[in-house]
Amino acid sequence: MNAYKFTELSIGMAESFQHTVSYDDMDSFMKLTGDINPLHCDEDFALKHNFYGRVVYGMLSASLVSTLGGVYLPGKYCLIQQIEIKFVHPVYVGDILTVTGVVKELNESVQQAVIKVEIRNQNEKKVARGKLNVGFLE
Amino acid sequence: MAREEVYNKLNEVFCDVFDDDSIKVNDDTTANDIEDWDSLEHINLIVAVEKKFGIKFNMGEVNNFKNVGEMVDTIIKRVN
Repeated sequence: MNAYKFTELSIGMAESFQHTVSYDDMDSFMKLTGDINPLHCDEDFALKHNFYGRVVYGMLSASLVSTLGGVYLPGKYCLIQQIEIKFVHPVYVGDILTVTGVVKELNESVQQAVIKVEIRNQNEKKVARGKLNVGFLE
Repeated sequence: MAREEVYNKLNEVFCDVFDDDSIKVNDDTTANDIEDWDSLEHINLIVAVEKKFGIKFNMGEVNNFKNVGEMVDTIIKRVN
């Protein structure tokens, strides 16, 4: 786990990690949230609606942004204040997602870092993009 | 920059940050007067004000403004 403090960050610093989405992830997310929408749970339903299979929950992908902040950038002392995310391409079970964060802004008066986030699949296709605002524990 | 001009620009920032066009701030306005003005929105507000006026506050200032009037006093000092 990284443990960057505000003063150790600089504009342009980047961190990334990978995660492969599994059926276990999908089942766990469904149990945790109660989201039983068939687009995510029913292969036939998803195929019938022109997707290639069960579509991974957008918020499951977005949850990796929590990992980005809490483990990688800045890591240990992270206090997530705000997340903005757009889901720009479907994610499927088995996709290998690369989550990348780049420091875009450092607001010293409020000790806040603004991190540009993007998630790409194994084909380099961008599946989500957004912004993560973080503060820092003392 | 005159105080009235600062207020015109500052009011736009408040309306934008709190997503409420009915807000009218004055010297006596405090967080108690705007429902959504909590600690997180205070951070967003400060950053938005800094960008709007092209200034930087220091850490001590942002935690010690007693009301909008004090914020405006500081903005005027920085921009003039």
